[in-house]
Amino acid sequence: MQDWISLPLVGFPLISSLLLLAFVSKASESMRNKLSDPIRMACLVFSLVLLGITTGMFFQYFGDVSWEGIGFNQYEYSHRYTWIESLGIHWTVGLDALSFPMVWLTTFLLPVTIIATWNEKNGATYFPIVLAMGGALIGVFVALDLFMFYVFWELTLIPMFFLILMWGGADRKYASQKFFIYTFTASVVMLLGLITLYFFQDPGNPLDYAGSMTGRSFDIPTITQHALAENSNGNWYLGANIQKVLFAMLMLGFLVKLPAVPFHTWLPDAHVQAPTGGSMLLAGVMLKMGAYGMFRLPISLFPHALEYFQLALMIIGMVSLVWGAIVCLGQTNLKKMVAYSSVSHMGVILIGIATMQPMGWAAALFMMFAHGIISPMLFAVCGAFKHHYHSMEIGAMRGMAKHSPWIATSMMFAWMASLGLPLLAGFVAELMMFIALWYFIDANGWSVFWMVGPALVLAVTAAYYLWSMQRTIFEGGDETQPPASLHGEPVPDLASPEKLAMLILAAFTILFGVMPWIGLDMMHDWTKQIFDGLILPILGDFNGGI
Amino acid sequence: MSNLTEIEPFGKGFVEAMGPELILFAGMLLLIIVPNLGQGTFRIPGTQVRLPWLLGGKRFEFTSDPRLPAWLATLTLGGAFFNVLYAFSQGLDRVAIVSESGKQLLLVNGFSRIFELIFFGALALAAFSSMNRLPVNGVGSKVSETELFNNRRQADFYILMVTCALGMSVVALAQDLFVLFIGLELASFSTYVLVAFLKESKVGVESGMKYFIVGSVASGVGLYGLSMLYLWAGSLQFDVLATAFATTSSTEMALPLIGIGFVLVGFGFKVSAAPFHFAAPDAYAGATSPVAGVLATASKAMGMIGLVRMLLIVAAPETGDGSAIWLACLGVLAAVTMTWGNLAALGSDNPKRMLAYSSVAHAGYMLAALTAVGAWNWDAAVSGDAGAAAVAVLTAVIFHLLVLVAFKLGAFLVLSILESEGDVSRLSSLGGLAKREPLLAVSMFIFMISLAGVPPMAGFLSKLLVIMGIVRVAVGDMGAELADGGIYALGDMHWVWWLALLMVLNSAISMFYYLRVGVVMFFDEPEEGREGPLPTGWQVRAAIFACVLTTLLIGVAGDAVLRLCEMAAQSLNYDW
Repeated sequence: MQDWISLPLVGFPLISSLLLLAFVSKASESMRNKLSDPIRMACLVFSLVLLGITTGMFFQYFGDVSWEGIGFNQYEYSHRYTWIESLGIHWTVGLDALSFPMVWLTTFLLPVTIIATWNEKNGATYFPIVLAMGGALIGVFVALDLFMFYVFWELTLIPMFFLILMWGGADRKYASQKFFIYTFTASVVMLLGLITLYFFQDPGNPLDYAGSMTGRSFDIPTITQHALAENSNGNWYLGANIQKVLFAMLMLGFLVKLPAVPFHTWLPDAHVQAPTGGSMLLAGVMLKMGAYGMFRLPISLFPHALEYFQLALMIIGMVSLVWGAIVCLGQTNLKKMVAYSSVSHMGVILIGIATMQPMGWAAALFMMFAHGIISPMLFAVCGAFKHHYHSMEIGAMRGMAKHSPWIATSMMFAWMASLGLPLLAGFVAELMMFIALWYFIDANGWSVFWMVGPALVLAVTAAYYLWSMQRTIFEGGDETQPPASLHGEPVPDLASPEKLAMLILAAFTILFGVMPWIGLDMMHDWTKQIFDGLILPILGDFNGGI
Repeated sequence: MSNLTEIEPFGKGFVEAMGPELILFAGMLLLIIVPNLGQGTFRIPGTQVRLPWLLGGKRFEFTSDPRLPAWLATLTLGGAFFNVLYAFSQGLDRVAIVSESGKQLLLVNGFSRIFELIFFGALALAAFSSMNRLPVNGVGSKVSETELFNNRRQADFYILMVTCALGMSVVALAQDLFVLFIGLELASFSTYVLVAFLKESKVGVESGMKYFIVGSVASGVGLYGLSMLYLWAGSLQFDVLATAFATTSSTEMALPLIGIGFVLVGFGFKVSAAPFHFAAPDAYAGATSPVAGVLATASKAMGMIGLVRMLLIVAAPETGDGSAIWLACLGVLAAVTMTWGNLAALGSDNPKRMLAYSSVAHAGYMLAALTAVGAWNWDAAVSGDAGAAAVAVLTAVIFHLLVLVAFKLGAFLVLSILESEGDVSRLSSLGGLAKREPLLAVSMFIFMISLAGVPPMAGFLSKLLVIMGIVRVAVGDMGAELADGGIYALGDMHWVWWLALLMVLNSAISMFYYLRVGVVMFFDEPEEGREGPLPTGWQVRAAIFACVLTTLLIGVAGDAVLRLCEMAAQSLNYDW
C-alpha cells in the first residue's frame, strides 16, 4: 500500500511551513503584511488537504482498511524506513484505533484554528507556525519508533513556544518559558526511562529491527510484541522492580503533559497567555499527547505495573477531577477557569484509565476525542471575548445576550457541552466513565465513597459554568452602558470567520454527541482487545469486564 | 583493522602520513613570508647595485591587503581539513612514526584523524569568519577600527591559529606523554596569545593574563606529574606506562596515582572541568568570539584526548575486580562539573560567560561518559557486552566533540557579528535580533536548543548517545539475565545510571538559560544604539549557515557521522 502517512501527513505540513517561513523571513516589513493574505489562504488549503486525507482514510478511500476490530499491536498504513541503522532507529509510522482518532482530530482542528484566528496579527509567520505545529502533533501520533516518538514529542514544544512568546498576552515571556521548561523536564526523565527500557531488552532473544551497534530495538511494535508474550505468560516483562520503575518514569512524562494534579501548574499560565490559536491546539490536541502516550507505552508494555499503581492513578485522577473543578469556582479570569476545567476533564481520562476496564479505557479515548472538539470551542469563545472586549475578567462584560448574541450563544453552547449536557459529545465520555467506575468499584469491592468525588464534581462543574454564564451573558447589560474596557467603542460581536469556526465546532459536538458510535466503536473494539489480551491474563480471579 | 606501518621521520611514506601537518607547516611559512613581500631591495655591500629580494620595503597592493593572512590561514586549515577527509575516504592506514630506537612517537589512525578533523574544522571556521572583523569591539580603544584593521597584526593572529592547529594535531597523534605535552604547550601558548590579542582593551589583557597564569600553573602541575611517572616507569610511552600500571601491585600504587592525578589536572584545565574551570569564563569573555569558540570546541577536544589516553590506556579499567581505580573520583568530578557549570550559567547575564559555563557543563557530560567506560568490567555478568559498551560510550564522546564544533562555535560566531558593533557583555545586546536579522536569530535559537539537547538537532543526538552509552554500561547484560528468570531492581544497576539521571536533570536546568537567549532575541526590543542593520560580512554569515546546516543535517541523518565516530573509537589503541 502506498505510504499515506510519512510524506502527506507529516512531511508535507512541516516542510511547507518551513519553506513559507524561510520565504517570509527574507521579505521586508511591508511585503510581509501583503503576504499575510495569500499565506493564510495557502495554510488553510494545506490543512484542508490534510483533513481530506484523514477523512478519506476513515471512509476507506485509500485502501480497504476497517477501523473497527483493529487488534492490539496491529497497525494500518504501516511503513518502515531505516533511519539510523547503527542504533536501530527507524522511521516507522502506522495508525490504529488509538492513534487514528487523534490524527483526524489534529487535521480537523488545524483548519478550524486557522479560521477561528483569521485576523491574527503577523499572519505571514503565524499561520505557517500553526501548520508546523499540526505536522509535529501528527508526527507524535503516527510514530511507532521510540526515538521518532520522542523527537516529535519534543518538536511540538518549539512551535508552541513561539506561538505563546510572539502572539501571547502580557505575561507571555514567563508563560512560554515555564511551559517549555516544565514539560521538557518531565520529558527528559521519560527519555531516560525509554533508554533504560531499550537496554533492558534481551539482545539474545532475536529482536526485529535491532541496531547494529547496540543489538536492541527502538521499534514499538517489536517491543510491544515481546512485552505481550512475556506478560501473558504470567511473568512481569523485565521483572517486577524494573517494570515499576520504568512505568513510573514514563508516566511522569505523560502525567505532566496531561496534566494531572500536582503537575498541572504550567497549564493555566500557558493557556492564559497563549493566543487563541495556541490555546485551541494546546487544549485540543497537545494535552491528549499525554493520554495517548500512556496507552501507547506504559499501559501496553507494563500492565502489571499499571495494576500495582492502580490506586495511585485513581487517586491522582480523582484529585485532578475534584481539585480542577473546585479551583474553577474561584477564578475571575475566564480563560483560567477554562484551563482549570481542562485539568478536571483530564482527571476523567485518568480515572477511566485507572479502572482498567475496556469501557473505562474507551471512555478515556472518547474523552480525549470529545474534549479535543469542545475545548477548542471554549478557547475560541475566550479568544473572541478577549478580542472584542479587551479583557478576560468574568464580569468585565455583562448582559452579552442583549448586544452580542453570537458570542453569547457560542459561549452558552460550549459551556453546556463542557459540563456534560446529554446529546453533546462530552456527556457520552463522562457517562461511560461513570459506568466503568461503578462497575469496577462493585466488582472489586471498593468503597462506594469513591463515587462521591465524581458525583460532587458534576454539581461543581455545573455551578462554575452556570455562574460564569450568569455573570457574563444574562445579568445586567444595557446597550446604553457598554463596559469601560471598550473605551466608548461600539459593542462588537463575532466576526464572520469566527462565526464559521463556532458553527463547525458546534456541529461536530452535536454529531459526536448524537452518534458517538462513529468513533466510539473502533475505540471500544480496541480497548476490548487490549483488555482480553493484556489485562485478563494478569487479573486472575477477576471475571469479565465491560 | 589494517596492519601497522612503521616509518621513521622523513622516511618513505612520511609525507603521505603527515600530510595535514605538512600543509599546516607550509601554510605557516607562507603566512610569515607572503604578507611581508614588497619592493624591498638588497644593496650589495661596497657597490651601488641593488638586487630586488622582495622582502620588506613598500608592500605590494596584493600583499598589503588585510584580508590576505586570513585567506591564507583559511586555505591552509581548510586544506588540512580536506586532506584528512580525503584520508578517510581512502580508507585509513595505521601509520606510526617511530624514533630511531623503534619507539612509537606519533600514531596515525582513525582516532587521531577524527580529532584532527575537529581541530582543523573549528579553526578553519574561526579563521574564515574572523576575516572581516578583526580587531573586535575595541572596548576602551583609542584607535579606530579601520586603523587597527589595516595593520600587520593581522598576520600574527592567523599564524597563531595555524600553530595552534599544529600543536593540537600533535596531541592527537602523540603516543608518548612527552610528545603530547609538547603539542599541548604549543597549542596552549598560541591560545594564550590569541585570548590576549586585544591588547587595546582592558578585558582582553586581563583575561589573557588570567588564562595564561592559571593555564601555566596547570601545565606545571601536569609536568610535575609527568616527571613522577617517568621516575616510576622509566619511560613516558603510553604502552610502557600501561603495562607498568597493570603490573604494579596495589601497595606500590602511590607514586603513579599521584603522577596520573597531577597530569589529569593539566588536562582537566583544558576541558574546563570543575574545579579547574575558573579561568574559562574570564578567558571566553575577554577573547574575541571566534577565539572563544575555538577554546570551547577544539581546545576542549584536545584536553579530552589527554583524558582518554591517560584514563583509558594508561590507567585502564582492570580486568580483575572490574572497575577502574579512578571510577569513583571521576564520577564525583563529573557530577560536580555538570551541576556547577549549569548553576553558574543560570546566574550569568553575559552571553559569552554563559556559553563558557555551558561549556563546563558539557565537559561534565563527557566526564560522565568516561566514568561509564571505567565501569565496563564492574561485574562478571557484564563482560559479554562490555567491549561494545565501552566503544559505544567512547563513540558518544567523540561524536559530541565533533558536533559541538557546529553549534557551539556557531553560537560564538553569531555573537561575533554583534561584537563588531560593540560590547556584548550583557544578554540584552542580543535583544530584538529577530527583528534586525531573522535568519541570524533563528540560527542562534537552533544553536541554543541544540546545546540544550532538543530534537531534531545534532545536540540531541549527541546527548542521547552519551546517555545511551551510560545506561548501556549500567544495565549491562541484565536484559539477558532477566529473560533467564533473573530478578533485578533499580539498585542492581551500576551506579553510573544515576549519572545519566543527573545528566537529564541538568539538561532540564540548562533549558532555562538557553531558552532565555531565545526569549531575548524574539521578544525584547533592540538595545539603544543597536536598532540599525547589523555589520556586514558574508564570510561570517556563510560560516554560521554552514554550522546551522550541519547541526540540522547531523541531527536528522547522523548515521554516517556516527559510524565514522564508531570506527574512530574502535581504533583507539586498546584491546577491547
